[in-house]
Amino acid sequence: MTEIPQQECRYLCPYCSRVLDSFEDLKAHVLAEHRTEPVPTPEGLIHLTVNGQPYEVKVDPEWTLYQLIHDRLGLTGTKMFCDRGACGSCTVIMDGRAVLSCMTLAIECEGADIETVEGVAATHPLLIEKYAEHHAMQCGYCTPGFVVTVKALLDKNPNPSQQEIKEALAGNLCRCGTYPQHPVAVQEFVKERGSAKNDA
Amino acid sequence: MMREEISRMEEMFDNLRADRYPLKDFIHIGKRGPRRVDGIQKASGKAEYTMDVMLPGMLTMRFFTSPYPHAKIKNMNTRKAEAFPGVRAILRYDDPELPEAADLGGHVPQAEVVLPGTAYFQGQEMGAAVAADTEDIAEQALRFIEVEWEVRPFVLEPEEALKPDAPLANPDIFPFGNHYNELLLGEAFTDIKQGDIEKGFAEADKIVEFRSERRLHTWIGPERPCGVFRWNGDCPEVWVKQQRPHIAKRVISSWFGGVPMNKIQMHCLYQGASFGGWSQVNWNFGGHYCAAVLAKRTGRPVKWTFTRREDFFGGEMDEGVYYLKVGAKKDGTITAVEGRAVLANQQWPVFHFLKHLVENTRIPNLYGKMLAVLTNKGPNVPTRCEQNANTHTQSLVFDHIANALNLDPTEVALKNDGAYGNHMEWLNQQKKERGFEARDSLRECIEKGKAAIDWDKKWHPPGTRRLPNGRMHGIAFTWAHEWDDSAGSSEMAIRIERNDGTASILGMGCDNGVDAENSYCRIAADELGMKLEDVYYNPRIDPGFFRMTPDSSTNTSINGFAIRHAARILKQQILEAAVKPIAKTQRGSFPPVFPDAGPADLEIRDSVIFLKKDPAKRISLAEFVGPSRSAGPMADLENLGDRTAFSVPLFAYGYHVQTGTYSMHHVRPRLCRQAHFMEVEVDTDTGQVIVTKVVNVNDVGKVINLSSCEGQQYGGTYMGVGRGLTEEVVYDPVTGVMLNGNLLDYKIATILDIDGPIDTILVETGMGYGPYGVVGIGEDVATVLPALLGPAVYSAIGVWVDDFPITPKRVLEALGKA
Repeated sequence: MTEIPQQECRYLCPYCSRVLDSFEDLKAHVLAEHRTEPVPTPEGLIHLTVNGQPYEVKVDPEWTLYQLIHDRLGLTGTKMFCDRGACGSCTVIMDGRAVLSCMTLAIECEGADIETVEGVAATHPLLIEKYAEHHAMQCGYCTPGFVVTVKALLDKNPNPSQQEIKEALAGNLCRCGTYPQHPVAVQEFVKERGSAKNDA
Repeated sequence: MMREEISRMEEMFDNLRADRYPLKDFIHIGKRGPRRVDGIQKASGKAEYTMDVMLPGMLTMRFFTSPYPHAKIKNMNTRKAEAFPGVRAILRYDDPELPEAADLGGHVPQAEVVLPGTAYFQGQEMGAAVAADTEDIAEQALRFIEVEWEVRPFVLEPEEALKPDAPLANPDIFPFGNHYNELLLGEAFTDIKQGDIEKGFAEADKIVEFRSERRLHTWIGPERPCGVFRWNGDCPEVWVKQQRPHIAKRVISSWFGGVPMNKIQMHCLYQGASFGGWSQVNWNFGGHYCAAVLAKRTGRPVKWTFTRREDFFGGEMDEGVYYLKVGAKKDGTITAVEGRAVLANQQWPVFHFLKHLVENTRIPNLYGKMLAVLTNKGPNVPTRCEQNANTHTQSLVFDHIANALNLDPTEVALKNDGAYGNHMEWLNQQKKERGFEARDSLRECIEKGKAAIDWDKKWHPPGTRRLPNGRMHGIAFTWAHEWDDSAGSSEMAIRIERNDGTASILGMGCDNGVDAENSYCRIAADELGMKLEDVYYNPRIDPGFFRMTPDSSTNTSINGFAIRHAARILKQQILEAAVKPIAKTQRGSFPPVFPDAGPADLEIRDSVIFLKKDPAKRISLAEFVGPSRSAGPMADLENLGDRTAFSVPLFAYGYHVQTGTYSMHHVRPRLCRQAHFMEVEVDTDTGQVIVTKVVNVNDVGKVINLSSCEGQQYGGTYMGVGRGLTEEVVYDPVTGVMLNGNLLDYKIATILDIDGPIDTILVETGMGYGPYGVVGIGEDVATVLPALLGPAVYSAIGVWVDDFPITPKRVLEALGKA
């Protein structure tokens, strides 16, 4: 195989056209001579990970994390029921903690690691299966919020009691009243996961 | 059999008797599992709802709403809003393109002002609709609309509205006064008269009188009201969040000088529930009309939305004040009930608050007057369901008199069960004449319920049992007739898919989560002899016809007939196709699969057709319909030399139409009963009421979809307890502005709000008029339970709280502590 000769790498200062040998040298030069950030970040640009995928997104300062996830990224499993942090339908996991995406500003999510219901479904098919088997939904609009809240609970407490499950879900509203089925589905999941070990 | 089934289909319309054509074996009907068909989609967030629809170039439209409870726009300036960056179009109430009125849907097609210039309640959508690049932009632009108002006087409380000097709530349509039902509908709807009320009270050993109040409560659909309208040339494509897609399509076809039905494409995606509510409001298609105009003007699809707060305007039809008087003999035989109720803003003031006592009891002497009045709050419409005022009355009448006589309320119920003033003997005779087994539904329900709650051990005189935790223990019972059997119609079809022989059910309907689709799959599978997994039903697509959808309290009892007829006709089609040489090509007839048999010699089981006397001779449905080939969907190897079986397209439709029990004419008496038991603990220091056990016993006639029935039982319990204890829409009496139009301040039940088990007991007496003897269940529990909190709290503290919801404040007031 023919070896491709490595081109000599040179870095050009955008302010004064001085040529430098490395990127580190260029950064030091810009900071020292021009007194500015070497790589200016456009206003509103954030970097975050959603369901294991890295994203670089420009957001408006007033956008909520819900708007970013549902409207911009098209992950429509995250639902808006109450619009003010009262119902839990928009719950996502951010850096290991269940948060309400309608009460979180997207612009504050720089560097965040987010898990939505789509991510939970991909890693926990058995949990989804148990939800379907035990009818832990009717109209289904609030269900993704329950599933995400449950996942956040299980991350911290892999074998929760019925009372612990109920307390974790106390902030999730379901108008159809499917409440009794959620602890059943979760405990069945825990039981079968323990025996199968094929579901995270 | 095909002709026979068609004549049965017609015979079943308004049938007055038991199902004469039952199925011998139930394989999938009434059984638990497998998992919900929509379950994976919903739990994984993949189910698509109307709010999730995003189309290229789509705009979002929002409405201007009235800040006053009663006001007229004198002048409106929208120039600043129009100039707001990102606003693409504004529709004004005085736009020349808007008609004076258009059909805007609701329970029945009805002409309404599309975009009113006058508001009759605070928060009413009126004046202008703004379409913008985003919902945020539309929201901000609305604030730049300037209005010069004619502010009018208003009235909020039903009894206030009756006073002669009360402000007129709607002087434009009802200039004669706020009390409107008597004038519009006449005594037939306002008064119930049965027997001799004076004589009834004269015969009584005990008479109790009380006043009860039910404050306004509302539906709370998790998905906000919304819709999407797109013009594809002159063809509308419409996404509806609606329980009544059939009405939606019909009203759209009446707009803009007429749009042919065959050019309208409907989508009725998964529905974030609405419990009747919004779908029943007369104006419910105003959003679509305005979106249609702006979509045409901008050349872009338009999604219209309400805010969460806007969804709060409107409520259930039991809001009002009830005055009730009950007379009974010492043994609990009720001799007379007299009532007067003032009910607010009922869009259909036709569901009389004493109707249950007529249809459900032997009480001979009844008199009730229902005064429907207008106030300046939103429309009250059937919201799971229209019987709330009825069950409120029945529960309180029975429990008040039973307690006054120191009698067990279950005994008082059994003593007064009947119909139209007649005793059980009469009702049992009716059952027999109609071909039903004459079972005592109420007694069966009560016995099961009493055992489940340990009634005989736990029941005690009111206010006498203090628990070790210091709280007072209460236990109560109530009952009602079956749910429900109303007028309706359904068109459904089944198609056998070529290639794999699976069955697709067709017929658009609203899938609001009750898993009704699974019921129809079960009926089709059992009737066709197919595996349940081979039958699928997607009601969200528009095949051009509609099934009954959750909209008139009657679904399975109508759709069940339609799908059963379709399945029976289709099965016969399949069997006839299997024995006959069908069609000819240039090479002659196709050979039949079972050449020496008749259709009656064949059976289908587990999606396999076989010869009854020699089951080894069999062919799967998939092989029978055969694969589609290069020469089109049906021709097989004809041009290559082999001869194969050929099946015609296998498709059949069924339909059903009926008036139902619900008609005014008492065409068929209700035979099934429902019983509900509840235990509570009341903290007499804080006034808090804690529900610790609920037992629902529902005689559903015949279970079709077991998990779904149970879902309605425990699900309805949470809604019922929320309605009974916490749900109240509060208005500011000074400004007429709604104060708690959000889910922080309006409390629906959470997972922690019932502290104990909910028993779901199903009784199958087969005494329903639906297929297999089925009656409904979806509305019963949430409708009956709220009033049961009254006797439960009375049992605990020995003082009646007849003002609902029973908040801690009202409990403390009753105890003289507040």
